[in-house]
Amino acid sequence: MVAQMIEDWNLVIGIEIHAQVNSKSKLFSSSPTDFGSKPNSQVSLIDAAMPGMLPVINKFCIEQAVKSGIGLNAKINKKSIFDRKNYFYQDLPQGYQISQYKDPIVGEGFVEIETENGQKKIGVERLHLEQDAGKSLHDQDPNFTFVDLNRSGIALMEIVSKPDMSSPEEAVEYVRKVRSILRYLGTCDGNMEQGSLRADVNVSVNKPGNELGTRCEIKNLNSFKFIHAAIVYEAKRQIKLIEQGESVNQETRLFNTQSGETRSMRSKEDAHDYRYFPDPDLLPLTLDDDWIKGLQETIPELPDQIKERFINEYSLSSYDANIIVSDKATSKYFEDVVKNRNPKLVTTWVTGELFSILNKKNLIIEDSPITSKQLGELVDNIENGKISNRQAKEVLEEMCESGKGALEIIDEKGLSQISDENEIESLVDNVLNSNPENVKKYKNGKDKLFGFFVGEAMKLSKGKANPKIVNDLIKKKLSQ
Amino acid sequence: MEFDKKSLLKLGKLARISISDDKLNNLSKDLNSILEFVDQLKEIKTDQVDPTSNSLYQKLEVRDDKVDTKNSAEDILENAPEKEMDFFVVPKVIE
Amino acid sequence: MKDSYTLKSLAVLLENNKISSKELTSEYLKNIENGKDLNCYNTISQEKALIDAEKSDERRKSQNLRSKYDGIPIGIKDLFCTKGVATTASSKILSNFVPNYESTVTQNCDDAGLISLGKLNCDEFAMGSTNKTSFFGSVKNPWKSVNSDNELVPGGSSGGSAAAVSGDLCVASLGTDTGGSIRQPASFTGTVGLKPSYGRVSRWGIVAFASSLDQAGPITKTVEDAAILLDIISGHDEKDSTSSVNPKENYYENLNSDIKGMKIGIPKEFRSDKLPASTQKSWDECANLLKTNGAEIVDISLPHTMSALPAYYIIAPAEASSNLARYDGVRYGLRVKGNDLIDMYEKTRSEGFGDEVKRRILIGTYVLSSGYYDAYYIKAQKIRSLIKSDYVEAFKKVDAILTPSTPSTAFEIANEPSDPVQNYLNDIFTVPVNLAGLPGISIPYANDENNLPIGLQLITNSFEEQKLLNVAKNIEETINYSETPEKWWLK
Ligand SMILES: [Mg+2]
Ligand SMILES: [Zn+2]
Repeated sequence: MVAQMIEDWNLVIGIEIHAQVNSKSKLFSSSPTDFGSKPNSQVSLIDAAMPGMLPVINKFCIEQAVKSGIGLNAKINKKSIFDRKNYFYQDLPQGYQISQYKDPIVGEGFVEIETENGQKKIGVERLHLEQDAGKSLHDQDPNFTFVDLNRSGIALMEIVSKPDMSSPEEAVEYVRKVRSILRYLGTCDGNMEQGSLRADVNVSVNKPGNELGTRCEIKNLNSFKFIHAAIVYEAKRQIKLIEQGESVNQETRLFNTQSGETRSMRSKEDAHDYRYFPDPDLLPLTLDDDWIKGLQETIPELPDQIKERFINEYSLSSYDANIIVSDKATSKYFEDVVKNRNPKLVTTWVTGELFSILNKKNLIIEDSPITSKQLGELVDNIENGKISNRQAKEVLEEMCESGKGALEIIDEKGLSQISDENEIESLVDNVLNSNPENVKKYKNGKDKLFGFFVGEAMKLSKGKANPKIVNDLIKKKLSQ
Repeated sequence: MEFDKKSLLKLGKLARISISDDKLNNLSKDLNSILEFVDQLKEIKTDQVDPTSNSLYQKLEVRDDKVDTKNSAEDILENAPEKEMDFFVVPKVIE
Repeated sequence: MKDSYTLKSLAVLLENNKISSKELTSEYLKNIENGKDLNCYNTISQEKALIDAEKSDERRKSQNLRSKYDGIPIGIKDLFCTKGVATTASSKILSNFVPNYESTVTQNCDDAGLISLGKLNCDEFAMGSTNKTSFFGSVKNPWKSVNSDNELVPGGSSGGSAAAVSGDLCVASLGTDTGGSIRQPASFTGTVGLKPSYGRVSRWGIVAFASSLDQAGPITKTVEDAAILLDIISGHDEKDSTSSVNPKENYYENLNSDIKGMKIGIPKEFRSDKLPASTQKSWDECANLLKTNGAEIVDISLPHTMSALPAYYIIAPAEASSNLARYDGVRYGLRVKGNDLIDMYEKTRSEGFGDEVKRRILIGTYVLSSGYYDAYYIKAQKIRSLIKSDYVEAFKKVDAILTPSTPSTAFEIANEPSDPVQNYLNDIFTVPVNLAGLPGISIPYANDENNLPIGLQLITNSFEEQKLLNVAKNIEETINYSETPEKWWLK
């Protein structure tokens, strides 16, 4: 779709992800990091940049950055430097952000994403640790801006990609994949609504064979939908400009979530000169091999590995495996259910019925009303023939409403399937004996009547008869 | 002269210090004098030298991820020139 | 009687109940009142000091002392944040700032029972060597030339701290030293000024000037007192990432003035035709004296000495330009209204900072800006490496280095040169020590022909404060310098 609108043009997309480290306290101070607290209630003297205050680094944040680096298949730098990025802004109390510039804690790596044309490697340029800024509220008063420093100093991992993506879909897939890896690692909760993970997207367009176009950076996108929409809008805007003979300005732009448009940020108009230099309050951060090795051993199985295992162990299709491993909680749920059960059946029930229930209720799998144990019980009853697929759907819905177990509901509703051959045989005999005309017609070649006999038998059993046995018996009887 | 009127005003912008016209001349004279003084370093060969940004040679000390909520919003806002409803207040910023 | 007051002697007087902390504190408060013309104090903590003194006296009665020095009042440079007491850095921009927290160093003093008489004047944000950059006006040196009645600078930036000790407005004080700000005013006022190794004393809660160079230290009447105060203020601080994990020593207890077999280096690069003859003479004499006392005098070379000052005037302003960015009128301090946020920033900072601070912020901004960073900032940091390695080499050969503290003795306030660079030259002998992170001490050696104190500087390797104090003690014992200024301000 997008490809058509921008036919003849290449899109070049690079993304900077800001992922909040899943830490209890801030990067350089002991203030809490809870979301949604009262304004300026989580601010230490350090976060407010009071005179004489000094940063002391949070060990946990270093660990999470290194773990994330390992998860991104990246080089861990044994020596890294914290720099000051100097600029004035009301939400930046120190007048500088402590970040890493020339020597980040994590160097080059990559992630693999699924695209229309198969697997694609997206390069990661670097991952570095830095402080978040405070929050400004511009709509509280016509003449003033209000500043809340609760976020000021929270640890962020900035993950910078190479400009390796060439469509909005790839961009979304990349962010999804990075988010998934971080969530598997537990280094970032990935909550985009709360701003725990935001993306700055760099977009440029050029004609194939031509040199790269001028890029624009769209700041602070906090949903996959917005990332997609912002790239589409921005690409079209740039193409239109160029086609009109105008040129694209290199600038920072904001995405308006209401209108779906991007616009130039006024406050960033004057060219910046950040005057980076090593923060003299902090010595170089050095990591030793043994420590890194120790962390390496704590790295859990990551989505790519789990996916491969699911394909090998459970013969899942690449498509199904991808869906299941994209989220840590889902793959854990799946593994809990699939143990000693039919993988195909489990896959269908997890990605089909369960997902549709969660979707309808707008729930994440962690909050699923049906536990993995409960779903397992349901699948067991399908597998052993106690209930049919159709009945199982009914049971699942009831499980959802009442919270009762599958067996309990099957018993209560008397749903359990009749699989006793003698019992079914008498049902079938009953049907055949009551419809001698039709039996004659069938024997004379009216094959279609087979379904009629099956339907009658099922009706007679109030739907409980095992349809397979019914089928088999009718076929046997009519061929006698 | 490295610091003429224009470059000085630009520098003042970057440092967020306004410089009034009557101070421009003296300031540029002073800054040029300082610059001339430090420019003598250009004579010294340093190609093979690593820079030192802190003379203390020790590992960066780290702290545990522990929360300490000693400061209330009132403490933090105590010295604020303008505040309202527990916020710092600044002139309207248009992004 | 009064002139013999030291931390050591006062501890004895208090112990023997010859004087109470309240009496002592009152006496100093009276001296401060009488010495107002010296302009040493920005804030006098009259009430609080007396209350604290009473509490100390109670502690003494109940034998619950915090240390031997419990109840002794001292003065604090107005750069240390002190809870509930204005902390201004002698700047208009912080003139209304009252912290609700206490710096580690002043907390350490409080933990030892020391009492703060108030906050001492200094150069604005510690930038200066004459104390003339203070928003609250120049401090006056208690010393005057025999040939003139004109007022002299006390040196800077810890000018108030040095003048107050020299003029008996406190028995000891705290200063900070970024490029000589303890040693140079100590030299100008005939007091002992110690800059510890970088990392020996916590910087937490001290208004930052240049983070990689700043270090707090004592200004006292004697080397023993310097050791006592260093014992109280030094040590590792978890709140300062640049605080050394090296264990601190018992400097006072371990003072030992025996220097037999030590090697003392005399660096040839500190020699100059411009050095006043009396200073050169003191320096030579002192070397001879050390030799007589059993040390070996060794000629050494510190080849990059002359590059230290220009490197310092890149590094210190660079760090300062960033450290002082927080003074923006948003969260504390002065705010000057503006049409918009940027206008408010520019007006606040333009009106809030004095000329010297603005010069340094602008130079610092310049040397860090794109296109100049490598040529200036990185270059200066490379020079710093060279200077550091000069000293590393030197300390393979010698135990301590002896130099003059300053290229001149105190000069007239009215004679301050208008060219900032001429002022910067005051720190030419002290700055290399900061760049290399070493400990240095200035001790009074003699008075010159105008009866103005001449200070000599000793330098040792990093964290060899004990050795530094030992050599200083040896000189002090031998020369027994006992000159005191005539108290002209009492007339
Ligand atoms: Mg960025
Ligand atoms: Zn960032």
